Amino acid sequence: MEAPLYRGGLEDVARLYTLLRDERGLVVYGYRLDGGSIGFGVVRGASELPLRVEAEAGPGRYRLRSGVSFTTSHQSPKNYLHPPRQVVARVREDLSVEEPGAGEGGVALFAVKPCDLSAVKVLDELFRAGANPLYAARRGRVKFVVVEECLRPGATCFCSTTGSGPTAREGFDVAYAKLGGGTVLFKPGSPAGQGVLEEMGLEEAPESDVAEYRRLAEEASRRACLGVAVEEVQRALRRLMGDRGFWERVSERCLACSSCNMVCPTCFCTELVDEYDGRVNTRVAQWVGCLSYTYGMVAGGHFRRWLYTRYRHFVLHKFLFYPVQTGRLGCVGCGRCVTWCPAGVDLRETLLRAVGEGGG
Amino acid sequence: MRSPFAELRRGLVVGEVYEAPNVKTLAVRLVDEVPPPRPGQFNMVYVHGLGEVPLSVSGVREGGRVVEHTVRAAGAVTRALVYREWRGGLIGLRGPYGRGWPLEEAEGHDLLVVAGGMGFAPLRPVLKWVAERRERYGRVNVLVGARTPRDLLFKYELESYRGLPGTRLLLSVDRPEGAWGGHVGLVTDLIRLADVDPGGSYAFVCGPEPMMVNAVKALRERGFREDRVFLSLERRMRCGTGFCGTCQLGHYFTCRDGPVFRLTEVSDYLAVEGV
Ligand SMILES: Cc1cc2nc3c(=O)[nH]c(=O)nc-3n(C[C@H](O)[C@H](O)[C@H](O)COP(=O)(O)OP(=O)(O)OC[C@H]3O[C@@H](n4cnc5c(N)ncnc54)[C@H](O)[C@@H]3O)c2cc1C
Ligand code: SF4
Ligand code: FES
Repeated sequence: MEAPLYRGGLEDVARLYTLLRDERGLVVYGYRLDGGSIGFGVVRGASELPLRVEAEAGPGRYRLRSGVSFTTSHQSPKNYLHPPRQVVARVREDLSVEEPGAGEGGVALFAVKPCDLSAVKVLDELFRAGANPLYAARRGRVKFVVVEECLRPGATCFCSTTGSGPTAREGFDVAYAKLGGGTVLFKPGSPAGQGVLEEMGLEEAPESDVAEYRRLAEEASRRACLGVAVEEVQRALRRLMGDRGFWERVSERCLACSSCNMVCPTCFCTELVDEYDGRVNTRVAQWVGCLSYTYGMVAGGHFRRWLYTRYRHFVLHKFLFYPVQTGRLGCVGCGRCVTWCPAGVDLRETLLRAVGEGGG
Repeated sequence: MRSPFAELRRGLVVGEVYEAPNVKTLAVRLVDEVPPPRPGQFNMVYVHGLGEVPLSVSGVREGGRVVEHTVRAAGAVTRALVYREWRGGLIGLRGPYGRGWPLEEAEGHDLLVVAGGMGFAPLRPVLKWVAERRERYGRVNVLVGARTPRDLLFKYELESYRGLPGTRLLLSVDRPEGAWGGHVGLVTDLIRLADVDPGGSYAFVCGPEPMMVNAVKALRERGFREDRVFLSLERRMRCGTGFCGTCQLGHYFTCRDGPVFRLTEVSDYLAVEGV
């Protein structure tokens, strides 16, 4: 199982990007510097790659500064695969339908995070049965995946608890990790990835680098850890499902803004908006968060009127319902919902309190 | 790569019947081919320029070439369906979607049908189905409730169900008017009067959720088996096919896994508000 690791530098990450774009002719989607922040989208040049920044993150706090390695942004591969807003149909007066395409050409997902990779697998499973052909079409365009592992997990990351990071084992073509001091270790995850690394002429990493990589990976794994097992969390949540008091307490500060849903790499819910110009009706599917009041609202009623029921759905869906729907945990431990919650509601705290009050 | 939203079929409205001042049954002839719906399934019904709503199929004619929908004016789309003149006009349909009533499984058993208000719409095809295959079922009891006698759906054909062999029809209203000969009170009160064998009977229930919760209580009290009680549930549906996610009830997608559920599948969730 031991694939060889290759050694390079930051300039080789940029070379890998250029190779995929120019030699392989792929449209490269990845994290890119965008003003003072990092977004996810088409990377137009190597200078847009966020190679020398890191994020200072905490509950309700996120600032970029120069550094070795950034962890997450408020966006994710979901922004490409299941965009925030997409036209799904244009209906004419005679009810004939024109359907826009999902774009053409091969795509590389570049330098996505291990947790992102897990999130994509969750979405793959969720839409597996053809429920979302637009997703399937965009997913089908992905021909190459590069993962940037996290040897320096962020302060809100808990991916080792959710089993989705901070390193990656499968589902990519090339993964790389920054050791610091400008050294980057590359590992192939597929024959195609192996081919690319050989083409780049990288040398095998010396034993000392490999040992350093393993040491840092283990340390990172310890840091990105919640201190409780997912099974304990799930048992507690099952017990607390009907405990209104508990859910009211943990959602006490929530503002129902649904920022958590927007930044979550596995949240996929959409609402349909009809934009009618008097002749053609353009039907737009756009993200809608289960924390928002209108999510479950219907004419003359409401399926989740109380805020605690909406926060509870977010948590239970990730930990209890996705596993039934997809065979995978819906939470990938990326910490985005914690970082981008303006009220500092901390999912990790909710989970720990659940184990505290409903465990045993 | 067609998304479900592009699967819109044109339907020509060929008939309109007012069931009540705010409720109308539309008969729609499909211009484009679709599979015939099974009792309990629904369509996403599209009104140009306004949007789409989930509506149960309340009737099927000509082997599925004509479907009926019974609509109550609630918001923008349903008001347009009820109050506009539609005969000769075009509406859009997608579907049929969802899992319907387990009519084959119930063969050889007694059947109790409990309908509250608009909940009669998805149960009417059950009555037509059974009427065409009467010998396959045991005793059939139909309990129908409405707010007032005027709100009762399908008044013009109720007597024909009473006329079926081995079939009882009991009606109930919250507020009687005129010469009302039926019961007064909750439709679920009628469950204790049902003349079926509780241990061997199937029960199909549809109505407002509090009514269904009451029905479940009454059915349990009478000794109905939980795995033979079926409910048709409603959630906010924006796609009908598992695309939008907003119809979730616990781990179910109500549009795809339901809307008809076996009680044993959902009883834990029904006990938890807003899950
Ligand atoms: C499986 C199923 C079957 C149904 N069958 C019938 C039927 O046979 N007859 C009937 O009159 N009504 C039925 N309903 C309810 C009907 O869908 C709503 O009354 C209708 O969507 C209201 O939409 P509107 O645009 O008129 O109201 P608005 O309030 O303007 O609706 C806004 C949006 O909310 C959604 N919505 C509103 N109310 C509901 C609701 N109760 N359930 C789900 N979504 C809702 C719709 O998507 C609608 O586009 C059914 C609902 C479901 C889920
Ligand atoms: S938990 Fe935070 S981000 Fe989510 S809805 Fe509440 S306030 Fe907004
Ligand atoms: S209605 Fe969209 S997923 Fe069920």
